[in-house]
Amino acid sequence: MSRDEPTRERRIDGGSDEQTQESVQRGPNPPAPAGASANGDGDARESRFGPRWAVACRELRSLRSEKTIILAIAIQLFIAAFSSFLVVGFVSMYDPDGLGGQDIDVAIVGEDPATLEAAADDQAGLNTVRYDDRAAAYGTFENGQVAAVLETSRNEHDQLVVDVTAPEEGIETTLLVVQLRETLEAVEHDERLANADRLASTPLTIPDEVEASPYVGFTYTILVPLLLFLPAFISGSIVVDSLIEERERGTLELLRVTPLSLADVVDAKLAATAVLAPMQAAAWLALLAVNGTTVARPGVLILVVAALSLLVVGLGTVVALVAPDRRQAQLLYSVAIVGALVVSTLLPEHPANTVAKVSLGSATATTWLLVALYCLLGAGAFLAARATVERIDPAEL
Amino acid sequence: MSGEPDPSSSHGEVDSSDGRPSRRAGDETESTQRSRAAELRDSCSRIVRVARWEISRTTGTVDRKTVFVLLAVAIAVGIVGFAAADDGIGLEDEIYVVGVDEENPYHDVATASDQFRTVPLEAVRIDDGGASGNVDVVIEDRRIGYVGENGVAAYDAFRDAVEAYNEALMAGEDDETAAYPVLVEIEYQDRSFDGDLEPPVESEADESDGSGVEDSEDSAEGEAPEETDGEDSASDEDTVDLEGDEDEPTDGDEPPLESDEDTDAGGDANVTVTGSPGDLEPPFPFQSLILAFLFVVPMNFVIQAYGSTIMDERIKRRGELLLVSPASSREIVAGKTLPYLAGLVGIVVAITLAIGGGFLSVAATVPIALLFLAATFAGAMFARSFKELTFVTVTISVVLTTYVFIPAIFTDVTPIALISPLTLVVMDLQGESVTLGAYLVSTIPVYLTAAVVFLLGLGTYREEDMFAQKPVPTKVIDAIAVRVHGKRSVPVLSIVFVPFVFVAQLLAIALLFAAPPLLTFTIIFFFAAAVEEVAKSVHVYAGFSRARFEPTLAAAIVLGTLSGAAFFLAEKGTQIVQLVGLHEFESAIAAFGPETMAGEVADGPVVFAGLLLAPLILHVVTAIISAVGATRGRTSYVVALGLATAVHALYNIGVILLVT
Repeated sequence: MSRDEPTRERRIDGGSDEQTQESVQRGPNPPAPAGASANGDGDARESRFGPRWAVACRELRSLRSEKTIILAIAIQLFIAAFSSFLVVGFVSMYDPDGLGGQDIDVAIVGEDPATLEAAADDQAGLNTVRYDDRAAAYGTFENGQVAAVLETSRNEHDQLVVDVTAPEEGIETTLLVVQLRETLEAVEHDERLANADRLASTPLTIPDEVEASPYVGFTYTILVPLLLFLPAFISGSIVVDSLIEERERGTLELLRVTPLSLADVVDAKLAATAVLAPMQAAAWLALLAVNGTTVARPGVLILVVAALSLLVVGLGTVVALVAPDRRQAQLLYSVAIVGALVVSTLLPEHPANTVAKVSLGSATATTWLLVALYCLLGAGAFLAARATVERIDPAEL
Repeated sequence: MSGEPDPSSSHGEVDSSDGRPSRRAGDETESTQRSRAAELRDSCSRIVRVARWEISRTTGTVDRKTVFVLLAVAIAVGIVGFAAADDGIGLEDEIYVVGVDEENPYHDVATASDQFRTVPLEAVRIDDGGASGNVDVVIEDRRIGYVGENGVAAYDAFRDAVEAYNEALMAGEDDETAAYPVLVEIEYQDRSFDGDLEPPVESEADESDGSGVEDSEDSAEGEAPEETDGEDSASDEDTVDLEGDEDEPTDGDEPPLESDEDTDAGGDANVTVTGSPGDLEPPFPFQSLILAFLFVVPMNFVIQAYGSTIMDERIKRRGELLLVSPASSREIVAGKTLPYLAGLVGIVVAITLAIGGGFLSVAATVPIALLFLAATFAGAMFARSFKELTFVTVTISVVLTTYVFIPAIFTDVTPIALISPLTLVVMDLQGESVTLGAYLVSTIPVYLTAAVVFLLGLGTYREEDMFAQKPVPTKVIDAIAVRVHGKRSVPVLSIVFVPFVFVAQLLAIALLFAAPPLLTFTIIFFFAAAVEEVAKSVHVYAGFSRARFEPTLAAAIVLGTLSGAAFFLAEKGTQIVQLVGLHEFESAIAAFGPETMAGEVADGPVVFAGLLLAPLILHVVTAIISAVGATRGRTSYVVALGLATAVHALYNIGVILLVT
């Protein structure tokens, strides 16, 4: 709970220059450039790059000291775990083999049970018990010896009618229904082939079943895009908060007293937060690779994330500079992100689909064009942020 | 840094109108009673005034440009969303490549499905003897093979695509009875063998039991409160009905595909679905679940604005003006919260009306809204900057959404789902009846947790915490320390923390529901013990570290005893767990301790008393361990906490091994 206290005590005991650097004491006066020179970055001050570097470092340090970045990563982990949990749960619910569950016994009664029995024998995990007596079959169902009763008959159209009686609720029923569906679909397929002379088209033979991981589709079309896009959105949110906070606390004013121009400050913040996303994306890809999920072109994916991150952070910067206060800035930013995600379905490929294709190695020419487009958009957003800075009057912020 | 107790909040627990000398001086006569009523009225009017000011400021400062942009985005999203609703957002479009010639019958399958892109066979390149290539699936004549790492998955997806293609082919056939040669009618029946709460339906259904695993599942279900006698008789009727229509199993003339009503629509004891095998869907409350999720979505947006307005007060000491007003901190917070709560309730009512829910949906969602607001309030009080606030609110969103959503998935599966109020919404939408007991079990912990979180946040609604930059953990300790004055408050706080413990443990059970049992047990044993130990000792630590108590061994022993005993008593109150039959779950026993099943295993009164008293001793001992550690600062507190957790977990494991 109070893990940070002594650390904080020590920081306060340390040099006062050091202290003003830390956001812990970031009160009314954090003179960043002064701190930078005190930190021995004096030589860097000669170029214009130096002060920006100092602002960027300060930005990252404040993220570190507030543990926000740890929280951000924890949130992403949590979301990834949450969605995986959902999918694993759903898939295992629909795929009894995945659970390694035991066989389900069902009772069969009525006319012409042979086709059904044959299909059930082919289906792993489903055992049939034939009864000639209806009462006996329903009796075993009532006392729980069988999970369901299937009563078969033929109607006047020679359709096979299967009357299923299943227990009302519970995970068992879910598994049972899934098993039954597969079995009955196999029966249906055979019956259709037998009816071929009455049908205009013949159903295609269904390929044999294979042992395939049911998670591949989810991993590449949802999990990987999610893990790659989240860091970019988080970076955008950070830059909105960071700029608005400087404005509202009045510290942007102080920064302008230094030799830095507003453009320098904004540039530095933009760069510092935009660079976080591709770094996190690379870490996620490495982690996925350790877990056995390899992607075809990690380099391209990181490039896409970098471009999107620049785009989102640029957008965040513009919003933070234009919006009147934090509430509206955050609202505008999140609505814009949601809007962009929806509107991007108009593209020939949704960005998530682009990521999925690149990571599965089935990229097309359209995919490459879109990757190039994202890079352009990223650069455009950076320029837009630049233009906004030049257009607004710093004194009015 | 720790801050002296502020006069306005230090009496917060006891008085309703804190820090007002007139109230303390008053004698117990009628006149004071009247003045109390007047005070209450004043307090209400102040709350309303703050609320009005909050509303006018919120609506007044919204920029026209903001509204314009928001509207523009909303319209764009509406149009595009409406257009894209038909064919989805295409996440899976063309992710696999199939090598197939155009004259092949399977070529149409690949083009009919979104997931595949076709290349002609002459363009197919396969390297390393099938290990990699530019395709995932290759089809030559009737032979289908797969290539590369993702080939198996692509092949599996292609198999599904063939089935879907066949279905589409059959749907176009004129001769429907030939195209759909199999008709399925599924009837769900309530089998209530082995239920304790229900009388046996039929004599044959009485003491028979099925196979081992099935048995525990079903009996757990049978004890769930939602399955009352009313449904029981319904199932009885089903059985009769079923045996009555022996001669005519289904209406064969009916076209099979037209009667595919949703299984989750009715939610009655007897749901009948007729159709071809492809129409069979497991009885999963998918639609209700999605609709229930609608209730949670707006909360995530509202708390953003709420967090901002609380944090705003803390920037540039703006809130100081409010603090010096005659309104107490609790009135200010109530006033600032009221508009947001009212807004959320309004949204909830609107959604309920739109999706056809009942009063229960609203009653179950209000505590969730309160919990969101409470957590955001505390987060906004503790956060140092907007950046930190963003992450705190996102954390709150994610954790609380998980807490309410995951258990609701298991609505029809296990009674454990009741830990989330959203489960009640799902049940309401499915038309199931909910008992009062179920409602209380779902919502009381949430209400209490929200109240405690609000109280903790209020503790820091004072000058030295609002305008200072302190790390979040320090503020949490501060917030707790505000509530610690004198030995008497220690047991009170132990009791206050019990809802937290309850909620945390339930969440752990729900999250680990699907994990392998052994792993689940180990994690839950230690997690549950750790949560309880923290709840028993964190305020003792706060008291010592903020110099509320003398850091002596004697004081530690006294405080530990008080805290442990109080926690034990309060935890007995959570025996309502048995109400919903949670003790059927081994993981619940792991979390809530072996006492949960004391009633079942005890042979005589002596053993029963022993089983009840042993945990008292345990709680006291472990609380003393961590209290002693807390006298010597942070590191030794953490070490002592670890030790206490280990003792606690080993005790629980030991007892369970002993009695089972």
